Amino acid sequence: MTDKVAELYLFNPRVKKTWQTFLTKKGIPVFSDQEVDQIDQTIGLFDEKNRLVGTGSIAGETIKYIAVEDEPNGPAGARFNQLVSSLEASLAQSGHFHLFVFTKPTYEHSFAHVGFNTLAKTKQGLILEKGTPNIQSFREQLPKKPNTAKRVAAVVLNANPFTKGHRYLVEQAAKENDWVYVFVVNQDVSLFTTKERLALVERGLSDVKNVCVANGGDYMVSYLSFPAYFIKDHDRAISYQTTLDAELFKEQIAGPLGIQVRYVGTEPDSPTTKRYNEALQAVLPKEVLVKEVPRLTQADGKQAVSASSVRQAIKDNQFSSIVALVPKTTAHFINEHWQTLRGKMMKGQNQHAD
Amino acid sequence: MASDERLRRTMMFVPGNNPGLIKDAGIFGVDSIMFDLEDAVNMNEKDAARYLVYEALQTYDYNGAELVVRINGLDTPFYENDIKAMVKAGIDVIRLPKTESADMIHELENLVEEAEKEFGRKVGSTHLMAAIESAMGVVNAYQIASASDRMIGIALSAEDYTTDMKTHRYPDGQELLYARNVILHAARAAKIAAFDTVFTDLDDEEGLVRETKLIHQLGFDGKSIINPRQVAPVNAVFTPTEKEIFNAQNVMAAIEEAKRKGSGVIAMNGQMVDRPVVLRAERVMKLAKANNLVDAEGNYLEK
Amino acid sequence: MQIKQTAMAGTLESSDIQIMLSQGEKGITFDLTSDVKKQFGDAIKKTIQDVLASYQIDDVMVKVVDKGALTPVIKARAITVVQRAMDQKDQPNWEVL
Repeated sequence: MTDKVAELYLFNPRVKKTWQTFLTKKGIPVFSDQEVDQIDQTIGLFDEKNRLVGTGSIAGETIKYIAVEDEPNGPAGARFNQLVSSLEASLAQSGHFHLFVFTKPTYEHSFAHVGFNTLAKTKQGLILEKGTPNIQSFREQLPKKPNTAKRVAAVVLNANPFTKGHRYLVEQAAKENDWVYVFVVNQDVSLFTTKERLALVERGLSDVKNVCVANGGDYMVSYLSFPAYFIKDHDRAISYQTTLDAELFKEQIAGPLGIQVRYVGTEPDSPTTKRYNEALQAVLPKEVLVKEVPRLTQADGKQAVSASSVRQAIKDNQFSSIVALVPKTTAHFINEHWQTLRGKMMKGQNQHAD
Repeated sequence: MASDERLRRTMMFVPGNNPGLIKDAGIFGVDSIMFDLEDAVNMNEKDAARYLVYEALQTYDYNGAELVVRINGLDTPFYENDIKAMVKAGIDVIRLPKTESADMIHELENLVEEAEKEFGRKVGSTHLMAAIESAMGVVNAYQIASASDRMIGIALSAEDYTTDMKTHRYPDGQELLYARNVILHAARAAKIAAFDTVFTDLDDEEGLVRETKLIHQLGFDGKSIINPRQVAPVNAVFTPTEKEIFNAQNVMAAIEEAKRKGSGVIAMNGQMVDRPVVLRAERVMKLAKANNLVDAEGNYLEK
Repeated sequence: MQIKQTAMAGTLESSDIQIMLSQGEKGITFDLTSDVKKQFGDAIKKTIQDVLASYQIDDVMVKVVDKGALTPVIKARAITVVQRAMDQKDQPNWEVL
């Protein structure tokens, strides 16, 4: 009469195989390390005969790898609800009362039915959230733009670290608009921590009056971190991730905040960033214009001022070459933390671009 | 002992944190409903289940079924609050899991009495029963069964018991033979009810019937069940035969006759009818009524 | 009075109700998802409000996902979530029961 919920310990190869077989049967085919390694907990739903009839996983505050086999004559959605409920209870137990779901469009209705709110969607997948603090609370805590601001723009930066190139981009936006939101990507996977990156952006722009700097929170992250476990083809997965990121910005940030233009740097060298800019161009207009600003170049007039060249200089122990690339505030910080940064760099914690 | 000879053929386990099952538990015609706050409830939901069963007991009508709650064990942090909440709710019977000694019943009884006083319930109105789940419990079965006037029954709980005995359950039940007999003797000696363990394979109705026939033959009052689907097969085993009913009707008639004559001695065919025979006849008539084999007056209904 | 911490109780299973309380400063605000919102939305809120009142809580955000719960279930879940939100999971308030 009732199905039982039990933990699935994926470190047991037999359990993992059963789990994969079930998910594959339900049309979820991707088990790359990038997706699976993030999982903190997996639960299974077992019927009276002890057969696996549903599963779902938690990674941080995200639900993924969810799939259920409905009872042939049972009430539709009963198993799904039991599963989601158990995952939520488990998260609540560890003090998480806010969660995201990345899933296939077919599950949108089921999640809406249990209190989830769709943030953005593409043809291939969508992101939903439930709980507090949520997207409304995120928007409410942002600095308010002046009532007089008519032209409003936004820039999203990782700023690892903040360079003259970033400053140039923001300056262009500030010149052409009444108000500019600068969002700093909130993910501690860079050489400079989120706190440091945010502080460097704030200090580096403190003299520009019509700019406000804010943490991008859970809503402006690296699109690469969007789970894409339900899309087998790598190319389609990237296209889904970039499109979803653009939709999320358009629906939840630009629209409600009245942002009309998003400024991005041109990206002649990095194919991934190029694709990302293309996705923005495809999704944001007409509501939001995408303005690509040519990158500020170094003294040679060729090479772009980039955060990666700053990191390379740290690695090469060339402080002198950094001064030309970053504002004084950033140079000062790097100088003070030279040994720590070099230590981190040597350990290989240098992923992620600008 | 609080023996009141009510029918206890089926005691259905109902998970204490499941609103749907708790709401419907009264519609299947089980003799006793056992709300489970123990094994069926996740550690983190013990509080939730306690409030849920409490509110259900305030509101739902269970059609006269005996209402039992299995509380969490003495060695858990939930034990005392479970007792207080259930006494306050006016539960019929508190079932103590993993009972091993008469002292455990004494401790429970003291706490129940305190709670009865605190919440203005009549002292003694909350009955108790013990689940025997270990070798020690079986060895002490009679002391446990006779530990308190509040005791109405003891039950064998075979999953933990077989683990404690370093075995597991087998289809023929040989591994439970001793425990079943000891528990039954303890119950009969203490004049309380004896409940047999659950049969967990829902798809094996034949196995359920086989096991129920065995415990019926031994003399158990009834069987613990885990699903409404098990009610009918168990009740069928406990249905008296036409001949048994006929005999019981004769005994009942003889009692009436003795009453009418104002005679203190009940006689049938020139033989004195003693008390166990009367009790058995009363029980057969109750079973016959419960199975709709006789009408309210005790007349046999032809099928 | 405000609650001490965010808390959740109940499930999304049929006949149940999931209630989440989080800190708020604008009185009691509800966000209710239910198939029977039109007919029973007010009754559901009333049951929860009564429980909140018995704990003197007047500033809180209440997120509710109802799956067809009856009044005793709503009341039990509301009591559970309040006890948890007051960090008194293991200290039942016998006067409220």
